[in-house]
Amino acid sequence: MKKLLVMLLCLTMVLSLVACGGNGDGKESNPLAGSDGTNPPETQGAQNPPETQGAQNPPASGDTISLTMWGAEEDQTLLTELIEDFKAAYPDQKFDIQLGVESEATAKDTVLTDPQAAADVYAFASDQLPALADAGAILDLSTVEPALQSLAGKTIADIQAANTQAYNDLATYNGKYYAFPSVADGWFMFYDGNVLSEDDVKDWDTMMKACEAAGKKVGFTFCSGWYNACLFYGAGFNTTLNADGTTSCDFNGTSSKGVKGVDVVKYMQNLASSSAMMALPEGGTSAAFTGGECAVIFSGCWDSSAAQKAWGDNYAAAPLPSFTINGTSYAAAPVKSCKMVGVNPFSKQTGWATLLAEFITNQQSQVKRFEQRAAAPTNIEAAKDPAVAVNKGVAALNAQASTAIIQSVGGNYWAPAASFGEQIAQGTIGSDDAAIQTALDDMVTGVTAPVA
Amino acid sequence: MSKITSAIGGFFGAIGRYFADFGKAMAKGDIFVKLSLIWWGAGYIARKQYVKGIIMTLLEAGIILFSIFFAPQYVSKFGTLGTVQFEQVFDVNTMQMVPNDYDHSFLILLFSLFCFVVWTVTFFICISVVKNAYRLQLRAQSGGHINSFKDDIADYFDKKFHVTLLSLPVLGIVIFTVIPILLLVFVAFTNYDQYHMPPAALFTWVGFDNFKSLFTSGGLTVSFSYAFGRILGWTLVWAFFATFTTYFGGILMSLLLNSKKTVVPKLWRLLLVITIAVPQFVSLLLVRYFFANNGIVNTICQNIGLTGLLRNWGLINTTYIPFLTAPIWAHVTIIIINIWIGVPYQMLVATGILMNLPSDQLESARIDGANKFQVFRYITMPYMFQVTAPTLVTDFVKNINNFNVIFLLTDGVYTTTNQMMANSQAKETDLLITWLFNLTQNYYNYKMAAVIGIVVFLICAVFTLIAFNFLISGDKEGVYN
Amino acid sequence: MSNENSVMTKEPAKAPETKAPKAPRRGHRLGGSRVGHNIIIAILCVIWLIPIVWLVCMSFSAGDGMYVASFFPKQWSVSHYVKLFQPDTVNQFPRWFLNTFKIAVFNCIIQTCFVLMVAYATSFGKFKARKPLMNVAVMLNLFPGVLTMIAVYFLLREFGLTNSHFGLLLVYSASSGLGYLICKGFFDTVPRALCEAARIDGCNEAKIFTRIVIPTSRPIIVYTIINAFLAPWMDFVFAKMILNAGISSQYTVAVGLYAMLEKSLINSYFTIFCCGGILVSIPIAILFFIMQKFYVEGVTAGSVKG
Repeated sequence: MKKLLVMLLCLTMVLSLVACGGNGDGKESNPLAGSDGTNPPETQGAQNPPETQGAQNPPASGDTISLTMWGAEEDQTLLTELIEDFKAAYPDQKFDIQLGVESEATAKDTVLTDPQAAADVYAFASDQLPALADAGAILDLSTVEPALQSLAGKTIADIQAANTQAYNDLATYNGKYYAFPSVADGWFMFYDGNVLSEDDVKDWDTMMKACEAAGKKVGFTFCSGWYNACLFYGAGFNTTLNADGTTSCDFNGTSSKGVKGVDVVKYMQNLASSSAMMALPEGGTSAAFTGGECAVIFSGCWDSSAAQKAWGDNYAAAPLPSFTINGTSYAAAPVKSCKMVGVNPFSKQTGWATLLAEFITNQQSQVKRFEQRAAAPTNIEAAKDPAVAVNKGVAALNAQASTAIIQSVGGNYWAPAASFGEQIAQGTIGSDDAAIQTALDDMVTGVTAPVA
Repeated sequence: MSKITSAIGGFFGAIGRYFADFGKAMAKGDIFVKLSLIWWGAGYIARKQYVKGIIMTLLEAGIILFSIFFAPQYVSKFGTLGTVQFEQVFDVNTMQMVPNDYDHSFLILLFSLFCFVVWTVTFFICISVVKNAYRLQLRAQSGGHINSFKDDIADYFDKKFHVTLLSLPVLGIVIFTVIPILLLVFVAFTNYDQYHMPPAALFTWVGFDNFKSLFTSGGLTVSFSYAFGRILGWTLVWAFFATFTTYFGGILMSLLLNSKKTVVPKLWRLLLVITIAVPQFVSLLLVRYFFANNGIVNTICQNIGLTGLLRNWGLINTTYIPFLTAPIWAHVTIIIINIWIGVPYQMLVATGILMNLPSDQLESARIDGANKFQVFRYITMPYMFQVTAPTLVTDFVKNINNFNVIFLLTDGVYTTTNQMMANSQAKETDLLITWLFNLTQNYYNYKMAAVIGIVVFLICAVFTLIAFNFLISGDKEGVYN
Repeated sequence: MSNENSVMTKEPAKAPETKAPKAPRRGHRLGGSRVGHNIIIAILCVIWLIPIVWLVCMSFSAGDGMYVASFFPKQWSVSHYVKLFQPDTVNQFPRWFLNTFKIAVFNCIIQTCFVLMVAYATSFGKFKARKPLMNVAVMLNLFPGVLTMIAVYFLLREFGLTNSHFGLLLVYSASSGLGYLICKGFFDTVPRALCEAARIDGCNEAKIFTRIVIPTSRPIIVYTIINAFLAPWMDFVFAKMILNAGISSQYTVAVGLYAMLEKSLINSYFTIFCCGGILVSIPIAILFFIMQKFYVEGVTAGSVKG
């Protein structure tokens, strides 16, 4: 009875297999797919790497180089222009470059789902580098240095020299240089120059009082480990990413500057309970500008236009204010981070992909990026460009360069840290030392948990 | 219980008979029947069914080619899931990377599975080919009619029409549901996670380690068992409320609308159905901003003083009402939003069913002086329940796995204040399925996701079994035929 | 088909007849409760429509953001609708709409065929494997689909079908046979005498299926078609996974609109998202209104015996 059913099933399977093999052959996304099924004898031949290499036609300059690139939605226009510039820079070579949309914030998720299907060149946020590197989804740039040297005339050292050291550090993981920094992406403080003076924003307490007096709010994102650790870091606490992917964290002890974690939490609780404090949801800064209640918002260059729209030309930017614990004043330490452009190791055109990545992050491109997107450059020369240097956001970033730190954390850091910030914002911890210490210990347990 | 044992007995009995028939065919069949074990066409060609013989021969040849040229490269590595680590070197002349002939653990697993499925199917074809050949032999000996190819084709539109109908859908299900599920089950026994992610790295078998780490102390994360318990609890609570609130809501709504007192019932129904027409992802995302901490509902509540009132009562300690951002609040809001989404649909279903409510029962109840509530309690509800019990069970299972509502309402909005939950990358509002999604999407912990997936399946299976055995008495199928 | 219609029109017509005699008896009390009854319904409808009205308001408001101070916008404008039809790098709504429509139509065809085929085979077929197959289907339905997503993705990728609408179509339709239960429930109610008579007239099973069962099953076919048509408009998880090259012009409506709510975009695109949401809802709503009668009948008959 079931025979034909089963028969058809099998036949179709075999047929579809043949068909799929054919498809895979045409699509060069996967070296395995190209050689499976379709033509068995060839498979055996292809098992020999040198032969594979010989079989693939070397790209004479007449061949069209196909590349794919991912960039953020809001950068698409800019990137289209940069791609044209890139083509113009290598007039002898024909290119077919496809630009796709993938936000820097989610690049890691999409790339790691299937690195072989990811774009040849992609932009991502610096905190994703460890995960990308661990999964082998980003190219160690030293492997392609010869190509960079011969066609762009730059060595890795040249690229490092062109960028601010902090961003080179962000692009380095386990001693390898993985990506081209493109946008300095740290956060600082925007404030409404109509409401607050330059002196008001030098210190948290003064600032809160001034805001209270003016009936305005201070918008701070408590529920994100990217923002809420600034007081801990400022007070001398530390986090480290270990080789096995775990994170070390000393927030529940005493810092190198002799500050107790409990006291930092108490300070944060004071801030959070102030009537002038507005705890923003994660990613809620832009909306806070439009909301109109805030006179101070902690955010980065990406909100420059929102700030200008909300507060007019009197909008101002400043480094983070300092805070006082037990009579000693500490500068809050924001997180230094940047956006960078990486090359996919599974790219079919690794060399050209690297050149493209280098090109869209070089000095001219960064200046152009600043002009169009108000993005702060990581390139030292680009940052010196007069138009760039007068930008309020960039100035603030530069001003806090000495206090900002590089946040070194693993994947287990974010959820516990976010929860801890939210607990402070909602005031659920309680104010006695023991309760705070327990809460801190719990958070640190989560952050330092082994990676399953 | 006896039903289950008899079902199991029947199952093994059927298997026994299946192989007994095969044995008989092999023992008593002539040379062609025996030959058809090796050459599938033999039995058919011997009885002059040439076309069928050729088709079977070709099929067999296809499978043999498949087994020789395609299968070995994957199946041979199935035991280790690959040993050759990915490596590549840069060739300056071609500007390309030259990879080695590396193993891709995931593809090895996937295609091995594929081969196993093909071979299982082959096994059954083989047996039925032999049995068929024997049947043909018997028929030929007794001088019965032997189908021509044309007869066979005609059969597939008549006696064997179900085969024609089922072949394509079943093929689709095997490739797009069965193989992926089997794969998931296999992954649960490997160490496939972000440190063993193909193609750059290999993963391999670890036996029951993942299950052990799930159920022994410690677990997947530092507070795993706590988070697992909490999430399982909320998943069940959610499934219960989501199913029954919309169910009863739908019935009440349809009773309201279909009452003879209602003016323009069609208009009302039309208005309610609009909410179904808006795609769920639009309506859910919309309500999420509608109820946001600084969204329009909060603004209005603040303006009318509700927020202040709640604050005074000590129900909230924030300047807004945390509709979707605080534990109990969010749970209630989510269930209410689900009522909003689900009731119109249930209303449509209930309307249809209540139309068929036997009106003589209603009449006699009214004559007996039953009030409205009694009619509802003793006539309408039992009828509804009897009719819809199976759908209730499936709805419950669907709600256990209701990804959309929870994900769209809480992803990126809800931050837990429970450190134990946060330490497991979980939220109070997570269902097992959204937690799982989170673990795979953000932490690439495929092995544990597979383990939890199996657990979810077991929970659903146990629940369905119990529900079908105790809630629904008997198989009604025959009654209507 | 004609007898189907008459059955439907008969039911509601009969109902008032039987209840008519009673109305006068309680007439004096009904006046007040009747108003109350309708007020309750009106209130419920208003509650149900509030978010939808807000959606409409947002789409016609002149502002951009999603956090507005008042329910009704201070200024009305159609500018967002105009923007929706002026594709930029983020918004390619017309393309998305066409893509989704294309997938929806094909999904409709395949899924309806599959469901009807499986339902007929399991309802009318008399073969040994019927019960076991149905049990397996129940089991398979218990596995959450999201979990198998990654495996489905790699399968499609090996077939070279990711980033293609055909691949997405396969994801939606290939295993749609599993959703046959309600349809089978409906088929179970089709009088077997009809089929017997046809068989005696010399019809084979295929003819009974196409000439007798299908024509009498309009409600369930409509129900299946509507469900199949809607799926591609609703799903974004699978679509996002399969269409992962980031090529915006390939997106379906759901993926595209969802992308508009990304944190960096939501401030300028939320209102456009609302416009898109409304424009997607309109055809679905129309479809629903036209087919409502059949939809109700289909799902009812199906779930009664499903």
